[in-house]
Amino acid sequence: MYLELRNISKHFAGREGAGEVRAVDDVSIDIGRGQFVTLLGPSGCGKTTTLRLIAGFEFPTAGAIVLDGQPINELPPNRRDMAMVFQSYAIFPHLNVFENIAYGLKIKKLSAAEIKTKVAGVLDLTELQGLENRAPNQLSGGQQQRVALARALVMEPKVLLFDEPLSNLDAKLRVQMRSEIRRIQQELDITSVYVTHDQDEAMVMSDQIVVMNQGRVQQIGTAVGIYRRPANRFVADFIGRANFLPVEVLQRAGDGWQVRLHEATLSVAAAGEAVQAGQAATLLVRPESVRLTPQATAASEILPARVIRTSYLGSLAEYELDLAGQHLIAVRHDPNEADLYPSGATVYVQFLRDNIYLLAEG
Amino acid sequence: MKATLGMTTNRSALWRRWQELRLIGQDPVLALGLIAVGAFVSLFVVLPLVLVIWQGFFDPTTQAVSFKYFSQFVDPYYMPHLWGILRNTMVMGLGAALGGTILGFIFAYALVRCSMPFGRAVHVVTLLPTISPPFAIAIATILLFGRNGLITRQLLGIRFGPGVNDIYGLDGLIFVQVVTFFPVAYLIIRAMLERIDASMEEAALSLGASKLHIFRTVTLPLLSPGLAASFLLLFVESLADLGNPLLLGGNSNVLATEIYQAVAGQFDQQKAASLSLILLVPTLTIFLLQRYYIGRRSYVAVTGKPTTGRIFVKEPVTRWTFIVLTLITLALVLLLYFSILAGSFTRLWGIDNTLQLSNYVTAFTRGLNPILSTTFLSAVATPLAGLLGMVIAYLVVRRAFAGKQTLDFVSNLGGAVPGTILGIGYILAFIQAPWYAVVLIFVLLAAYLTSRITSQWLPQLLIVLGGTVAGYYFNWLPYLLNVNEDGWRYLLAAGFVLLALAGAAGAQPGRRRLVALLFGVMALTLVIYNLSPLLTEPLGRWGRTLPGVNWPKVVARLVSFIEFFVRPNLAILGYTFLTLSIFAVMEMKAPWRLVVGFGAIALSGALVFFGQSLSLVGTPYIIVAAYAVRSLPASVRAGVAALQQIDPSIEEASTILGGDAQYTFRNVTLPLILPAFFAGLVFAFARHMTSLSAVIFLTTAQWPILTVWILSEVEQGGMSVAAAYSVILIAIVLVAIGLMSLWLKRTYGGRQDVDMSAGA
Repeated sequence: MYLELRNISKHFAGREGAGEVRAVDDVSIDIGRGQFVTLLGPSGCGKTTTLRLIAGFEFPTAGAIVLDGQPINELPPNRRDMAMVFQSYAIFPHLNVFENIAYGLKIKKLSAAEIKTKVAGVLDLTELQGLENRAPNQLSGGQQQRVALARALVMEPKVLLFDEPLSNLDAKLRVQMRSEIRRIQQELDITSVYVTHDQDEAMVMSDQIVVMNQGRVQQIGTAVGIYRRPANRFVADFIGRANFLPVEVLQRAGDGWQVRLHEATLSVAAAGEAVQAGQAATLLVRPESVRLTPQATAASEILPARVIRTSYLGSLAEYELDLAGQHLIAVRHDPNEADLYPSGATVYVQFLRDNIYLLAEG
Repeated sequence: MKATLGMTTNRSALWRRWQELRLIGQDPVLALGLIAVGAFVSLFVVLPLVLVIWQGFFDPTTQAVSFKYFSQFVDPYYMPHLWGILRNTMVMGLGAALGGTILGFIFAYALVRCSMPFGRAVHVVTLLPTISPPFAIAIATILLFGRNGLITRQLLGIRFGPGVNDIYGLDGLIFVQVVTFFPVAYLIIRAMLERIDASMEEAALSLGASKLHIFRTVTLPLLSPGLAASFLLLFVESLADLGNPLLLGGNSNVLATEIYQAVAGQFDQQKAASLSLILLVPTLTIFLLQRYYIGRRSYVAVTGKPTTGRIFVKEPVTRWTFIVLTLITLALVLLLYFSILAGSFTRLWGIDNTLQLSNYVTAFTRGLNPILSTTFLSAVATPLAGLLGMVIAYLVVRRAFAGKQTLDFVSNLGGAVPGTILGIGYILAFIQAPWYAVVLIFVLLAAYLTSRITSQWLPQLLIVLGGTVAGYYFNWLPYLLNVNEDGWRYLLAAGFVLLALAGAAGAQPGRRRLVALLFGVMALTLVIYNLSPLLTEPLGRWGRTLPGVNWPKVVARLVSFIEFFVRPNLAILGYTFLTLSIFAVMEMKAPWRLVVGFGAIALSGALVFFGQSLSLVGTPYIIVAAYAVRSLPASVRAGVAALQQIDPSIEEASTILGGDAQYTFRNVTLPLILPAFFAGLVFAFARHMTSLSAVIFLTTAQWPILTVWILSEVEQGGMSVAAAYSVILIAIVLVAIGLMSLWLKRTYGGRQDVDMSAGA
């Protein structure tokens, strides 16, 4: 592995001697060369601290950080050969665009000619041509973002770090920039670690997503992996929307399981490893995996429910249902008038066997 | 089990403290900065205050423990007098604090909420007293309302005889202090008012509350920390004030004047120290209260931006009441300043009101020495205060380490305690060399130097000990070799030349010239020290041949100024050399470090331990130190405000792009903070120029201080000349502010300007 975090922890002293805060708690992540890895989690989950540990702005309390076979635990940031794009962009306000991008190259003591070539190259890449002499306060937010990116890219760092770089842009620009960053990253094949709390960003850009909560890694996987096979209830709840239904596991059925939900027996195609027959478990049902029909059919895996509220949103309709005392959210895409059930109506619910997932915990 | 757990937490906390210090120690500039500011505040704030408190319990002649002056407070013979003083002090403090806070509130409310016409100009004029000498208002008040006052005698025709209440006394004193100090209250309350989110009051309004009800239940409670803070600050300032009570107290003595008279009139150090302790109690209590109770807000909050939504009072009655009250007060302030100006041009105020320039001729002839000296010392102290303030601000804002709170606290303390007490402390501390402190600071620096040579503690100890002892015995060389002081300095210079040669031979490649240059400069400094009379003596002789009264004085001052730099106190020189040597030693190859390090410790030690070392009383350096201590809170605040404008990630961006701490500081932090910092620094200069109480005991015939001269001029009845001095002093400060503003505008093109609010 190119960049390894081995069991790293970071503890901060609490306010006025109130014990310690474990910002990062026993985190291990392996990152391959050229990979784009995203640290995803709610605010305060330790993702930014983890990034700052990789950058060297903080040193770990325990554990080891290894880059390219070398331990770099207490190496100061300026000797790590990394670059970072900051949330606030952190553009030097007293330098123009060219000087900002050339800043790190000057410290490397490159010749003026080399600096010029390299800066010109990355200006092309980030489409900033012609803005070399602008002062930072004459740039738009998007342009400042590009300067920050260019300043990091021009260093050809071993690892490129992003600390929520798009959070200050408006929604449209954010969508545009995220595909652009991914394009450039793949073009230059730069190992990247990206911190965000926006799951769309994480899913669109990443090779691997590290979901974190309360300083710990919850799950590492691809976008498909963490959405469809979440490791625990937190991941399932944090990524997308989820219904959690308590079920009783009956038995294995082929490659899947049979579970009991109220009166009905359902079959589930996939389950977490710890699921055991005869025990209680939680069924994860995404709202889009629920099918509603106005009439009961003969199928055994169908349950009656009462409509509490129907919301029409144009491209989709959302239903709040009462499933034998259980609250259930369902979604139907491209609904027509017939799909808009009135409150109080009885509907019949069916789950898509291949799209629901069984979680071990109760 | 529980106990063990506690132990581990304790050890890890201690361990972390040590790690923090170690982290700072790795960066020599930072470490030396910390040592320097630590040494400075220990020497010039902590030590003097401790000695004053100590002295209160000892009889100065017999050195026996005595509670003489404390027991007088319960002695029926002294009680009426002493308790009278305490009562006067409290009445003055409470009166000034209450009046100043109310007036400050009226101004703040009028300017922030009542869309005051010409608000900008009103703001600037309001702040005039913050850059005036401490008793400018007192002089003006005497000119207007005194026994020969323009208003009292000329306009109202009052003839003052026995039994007629005149301006002298507590009432007049409180009036003057209110006018002098209310701008501070105004600034505090204004900042608070601007930070109150308008939406809160709008929310109350939407819930159906009346304007008055909102003011009572929302605005006032939100404002109360500001009102309390300003009340306490004004109380402390009033108690610390010396100039106004001296001029206007009349028969009502207060603690500050009593202390001054104990030193200046009765030469009774114990009495002064005992009374100082009593004055320190309320001052320190309030200072602590302010800091840890009311002042529990981060610096960010203090410099925080005003909220965007502003609401204005629309009912004409309320609005105009505030505006009119403000205008009346403002007119009074302007009238007072105008009367100083007018007074400085009249022959004999109230008796012969012909306008003429003779007061200025007198001021510039008789007072040329103090004008030049004060300006020079104030100017010299400004970069010193600035440097110290910048280091403290940087450490406080950007670094975590044990003792940070203490450093911040002590650096503020020096500006908050009554200057008189500080001055007495300086005399107690520096009339002779404070040897323990001298040695301690030297050993600290030497220990840091040796930590750059080896990491083992035994060799470290040996080098420090050996170097220090060798340095001490270098002082015997003049006796042994039978040379004079000059010869001894030449010997030391030769030693530094040897170090320079060693540096050229044993430095790391590419650093030879730097190391040789560093030690070479030290040798050269000593040689210049010896040779300087070759320049200054002929210059002085030539000056005396010049025509007129003033030019010889100017040249004589010039000679003193040159000597100030080229013939400094040897201990200060020694400390500087040792500090520079640390940078030189770090550039040496390992085997050479030991030899050169030892030599540097020994040679600088010889300078530090020579003669009466840091016995600074009578030298201009103690005045500079006192100035810097007084303005340190302002400089720290300027530094903090400047640093806080910078997003820390800008510095991090530089670091991760490959810049080390120093490259980052030089290329990113410094260029970004300098304009704001310089803008703040001009008020350090203003504070120096207007200082009285801290330097009143330190000034000498050689180094007279303008504020002290104004005071003695008033005491001798020369009101017009005193007014002329005051005008000159204010003019110098205004010119400094103007020049700074001009320079900032030209260099940074309008990005930065002098903010008058930074002055208080």
